[in-house]
Amino acid sequence: MTDDGSMAATGGNQLRRRQVIGGVAAATLAAAAVGATKAEAASRIVVCNWGGEGIKAQSAAWGQPFAQHSGVPVEFDGSGPTFGKIRTMVESGNVVWDVCDANLAVAIDLGRKGYLEKIDWTVVDKNKVRPGFWNDWGVSHFVYSFVLAYDKVKFKDKPPRTWADFWNIKDFPGSRALSARTLGSLEAALMADGVPARKEALYPLDEKRALAKIKAIKDNCVYWSSGAESQQLMRQGEVSMALMWHTRATTLRDEKNSHVDFTWNQGLMIPAGWIVPKGNPAGKAVFDFIAFTQTPSTQIELLRLDGSGPANPAASAMIPDDLRDKDPAYGPNAEVQAVADPLWLADNQDRVYNDYVKIISG
Amino acid sequence: MLTRRSARQGGFVALPALLLIAVCFVLPVGNVLRLSFTEPVPGFENYVHLATESLYIRIAITTLRISVLTTVVAVGLGYLVAYVIAQASPGLRSWLLLVVLIPFWMSVLVRAFAWILLLQREGLLNSALMSLGLIQQPLSLLRNETGVLIGMVHYMIPYATLPLLSSMLAIDSRLMAAARACGAGPIRTMWRIFLPLSLPGLAGATILVFVLNLGFLVTPALLGGGKVIMVAQYIQFGINETLNWGIATALATSLLALVLISLVVASRFIRTETLFGAA
Amino acid sequence: MRARPSGWLLAARIAAFGVLAFLILPAFIVVPVSFTDTDYLSLPQDHLSLSHWQTLFQTPMWRNSLVQSFAVAVASTLLSALFGSLAAVGFMRMKPSMAAKLRLVLLLPLIVPTIVAGLAWYWVYIPLRLLDTYFGVILAHTVAGIPLVFVTASSALAAFDPRLEQAARSMGAGQVRVLRQVILPFAMPGILSGAVFAFIASWDEVVVLLFITSRNVYLLPRAIWDGINDNVDPAVAAAATLMISVTVGILLLQQLLSRRENGKAS
Repeated sequence: MTDDGSMAATGGNQLRRRQVIGGVAAATLAAAAVGATKAEAASRIVVCNWGGEGIKAQSAAWGQPFAQHSGVPVEFDGSGPTFGKIRTMVESGNVVWDVCDANLAVAIDLGRKGYLEKIDWTVVDKNKVRPGFWNDWGVSHFVYSFVLAYDKVKFKDKPPRTWADFWNIKDFPGSRALSARTLGSLEAALMADGVPARKEALYPLDEKRALAKIKAIKDNCVYWSSGAESQQLMRQGEVSMALMWHTRATTLRDEKNSHVDFTWNQGLMIPAGWIVPKGNPAGKAVFDFIAFTQTPSTQIELLRLDGSGPANPAASAMIPDDLRDKDPAYGPNAEVQAVADPLWLADNQDRVYNDYVKIISG
Repeated sequence: MLTRRSARQGGFVALPALLLIAVCFVLPVGNVLRLSFTEPVPGFENYVHLATESLYIRIAITTLRISVLTTVVAVGLGYLVAYVIAQASPGLRSWLLLVVLIPFWMSVLVRAFAWILLLQREGLLNSALMSLGLIQQPLSLLRNETGVLIGMVHYMIPYATLPLLSSMLAIDSRLMAAARACGAGPIRTMWRIFLPLSLPGLAGATILVFVLNLGFLVTPALLGGGKVIMVAQYIQFGINETLNWGIATALATSLLALVLISLVVASRFIRTETLFGAA
Repeated sequence: MRARPSGWLLAARIAAFGVLAFLILPAFIVVPVSFTDTDYLSLPQDHLSLSHWQTLFQTPMWRNSLVQSFAVAVASTLLSALFGSLAAVGFMRMKPSMAAKLRLVLLLPLIVPTIVAGLAWYWVYIPLRLLDTYFGVILAHTVAGIPLVFVTASSALAAFDPRLEQAARSMGAGQVRVLRQVILPFAMPGILSGAVFAFIASWDEVVVLLFITSRNVYLLPRAIWDGINDNVDPAVAAAATLMISVTVGILLLQQLLSRRENGKAS
């Protein structure tokens, strides 16, 4: 599948052609380019996600099938729905995205401040997500987990199983990788300190305890800022254990001659979710798209393509055997994990990040 | 007088550029400045936070420390390179200059990714050194401040070399020959004659490199392993990942103020355009 | 007696060549990586492969970004050269006191860190609907390039003798004619260097692009940036090698042209 094929069949190609022509005409400062972006408003759905593989996978699993099913083309923008962009867009009244790939904590944070549309529950179905994986402004479309990945060759006699093992440099020598952000790192630190892997036990996070634990391992630790960096750190042997997204860990595990494996034990499941910026161009029509993404077969297809776990319990029940060890939501995998608390995160994440940075950069 | 009349008449051709920059640059940047005094509530609260909270002080110190270190090393190495190029024959000089200019314009992303390949634990440098038996354990040259310094020095050496070279080429070589003829050794000649004459270029290069260092984003982000946080990285985090824009814009404004102050100080000693003199 | 080149100079030369080697080192890494036979970034393992070069030139995403980058760089460089050289002429004619005050304005785009500039444009472009448009990017790159041309053109004009202008005017030449046929040719070497710097600055710039573009305008540095985050496609290395080659090519061209220019002058 070429990149052109992965974009929506209709609107995408027209836009691509216009890009090339626009590029050539740029030397004459063609204002036509400005006009082009304002032209076709309500006749498509624009999804903003984080680019790369995510575009190809979501386009194949959701974009194209929805376009065929409803006749409304779906376009993907991979530049990343950051707070800065959503807020500025909504405040200036010039919203270009219909729906964004974010998570439930972001939904609460932005929603409370008035930057998001509320989810239309007459179209979207609360029962088609795991219990609690929704709120007023966000509904989960897939889940992903932070897991413990390790060098299976180096630790072949006694593979690590818990975050306490991760923190145990003596018995499990080598460097470690945590995330440069607090999500995942703090929870892992608490679990290493003995807190059980359950949402009720972890939240509200005992910040002092977690940060002290982070400090304890600091000298042996590096912090990754992107999924690919976490992958590269493990693949190149820079670290012998890493906190990383299950999608990257799975990719590494399944590579030829791989020396990487991971465990679901004490993983942290994150409810990702769709959010709709206030004043989105396609209006109510976007909820048809969101409802479509709840279809179990499409979620299984997404799992197959990029490893994102289905948010719909009906999909998890239908998982084919060959995908079971990739799905964080599959019964036995999910049971040993904790689930993150979007409400706590929305309230506290920014503040605790400052403390976290003080420690890891100190 | 003809010159005075043409000064009044002729200066206006600079107007389009001045207007363009005033409207399309000064105004938007001023808009950023404004937000630091109005978000989340009007007042100086953001600046008070910057001055008192240890995180921001730490970020400021890190930024300054890395900038100063990079400046010292880059200008030092740049001086060496500029000196050798200035002493070379004109033909060789052009080619040496070309070598300096190639990395000068290599994308900062390209360089960072090459450094990762070179400096990581099982990267090219460590593999080479270990296979030669020079080291037993791989050197930790990446994902820490060392890696950031290496990357930033590499980026800055050409920015230091060019202004230094311009000023060195303007030094009359007969002065040096005269000193030698009077019996001064090479070190004395350098210390007493050459160095003082190259001082304007040296000052200019130092200010230029320092100023550019302060706003660095990509190199510390890619080479620092998450442990090296400079001001521009935090600004980017603030804007993209939080709604707390007051602090981010206050940081940006403070950075700009520091740069402007450095330049005002510098312009007391040298004419500003010699800072950026091309080869 | 002619002084022998001292041992110090020899040591300095060796050290300087070490530094120069250090400067070129990344270029020597990137080129072989672009020919790697693996799917991820590494030196070639078993054999060389052209597949990533194929990806670069045949994948619409890479190809389009190359074309768009070139168009944007050419457009903004021409404008920077125009505004920058006129500014240099204007400043040359101004009263020195006024020039000293105004010079800082013209130098601001060079001084302001790119993250602040990116932020500033982002906020202003949203209500103006200039986000993710060619016009917006060209405007931003033009403004960023003006000081580069201004500075080099000013250096060249520093040696300009005002009596040349006086002579031309006294022979009846009008403003435009004097500009075109007396002043600008004199400044041309400076304008050209500045234009080369401005072109390369536009071609390589990423921080501002991350703010003011998203999907309609997808230039080469964005493609490389995305590639680095995903780390899946060594086409990034091919793109980087291409950028180095284009840069070297332009500089070589400039060398040859100035060589010929010097030849003519002497």
